[in-house]
Amino acid sequence: MDEELKEKSYEQPVAKEQAEEEENIPGVVTTTSQEINKFLQKTKAQDFINWGRKNSLWFMAQAMGCCGVEIIVTGMSPMDTDRFGIIPRNSPRQADVMIISGYVTKKYLPALKKLYDQMPSPKWIICMGDCSISGGPFYESYSTVQNIDEIFPVDVFIPGCPPRPEALIQGFLEVQKKIEAKEDKGSGYDR
Amino acid sequence: MTGDIMDAEKIIDSLNSKFPEAISDTNTESERRISAYAAADNIVEICQYLKDELQFGHLSSETAVDLIQKNEVDIVYHIGSYDHPVVLTLKAKLPRDKPQIESVVPVYWNANWYERETYELFGVQYMNHPDLRNLVLPDELLGDWPLRKDYEGFPQNTAKNLV
Repeated sequence: MDEELKEKSYEQPVAKEQAEEEENIPGVVTTTSQEINKFLQKTKAQDFINWGRKNSLWFMAQAMGCCGVEIIVTGMSPMDTDRFGIIPRNSPRQADVMIISGYVTKKYLPALKKLYDQMPSPKWIICMGDCSISGGPFYESYSTVQNIDEIFPVDVFIPGCPPRPEALIQGFLEVQKKIEAKEDKGSGYDR
Repeated sequence: MTGDIMDAEKIIDSLNSKFPEAISDTNTESERRISAYAAADNIVEICQYLKDELQFGHLSSETAVDLIQKNEVDIVYHIGSYDHPVVLTLKAKLPRDKPQIESVVPVYWNANWYERETYELFGVQYMNHPDLRNLVLPDELLGDWPLRKDYEGFPQNTAKNLV
């Protein structure tokens, strides 16, 4: 059972060398966007790109447990996360950050993987709350998936049950720091 | 409803006189709660009688209790009435190794999902159920019957981050 769940792991999504078909167009030299990425990552241009990326962390409004209430509060006007460029989006196509905000059941894990696949790269994951980090009060349940960080490349863990919106904003700031320091897992640096 | 409002004693008497063999262990817990054991073979007739004659038209819940020491699974029906101020707890004993009971969906249509959930969690086979498959349990867990007392599939170790 557990091996099946961990079969499709997302560790190092870019470093995995996959057979990419090269398209032959006469007179045009084609390359894959991955190579441009890898070239840029060695230059100073990446610093500028990261500056842009860290200031527009749009997150997916995907509430999974009672932490979802705190996500809603974070997206509302009193918190004003817009000043950091953090905006809730309703579609995974428009989102940069996925917040795993509750217990992941065996039934929900395939849907969560699908949502993650639908997000355009680069994408970051925040584990919010005790449930998503370790199972929380439900860690012994028959349907809870333990150790979600072995399945998804998680950048930031926010403990709490549930964490306050301020803690979630702090988590976003930590993601920004990691992006600036080029230590995040979402950009897919070769290490 | 134009008939009389029946109290707990009258309802038990009516059930006992109609099904002297099938109804046993009747108990008046208070004037609002009564309970009775029903024979598993007659459960549909009893529910039909309750619905048609005694105006017990509201099946609030249907679930099961795994009594592992007695080696039996009890199916529990909570049936309420809009006319009488009484809630009836009807139970049926089933053998634990092969729990099988007739579905009450022809009487109470909303038992459909209750029975599917009881099936996926306890493994109770409902005969003549229109669509007996798992309700919320993932397909790979079907057959483990997670809410039975001898279920072994719980994670034996704590999650990594807790240690």
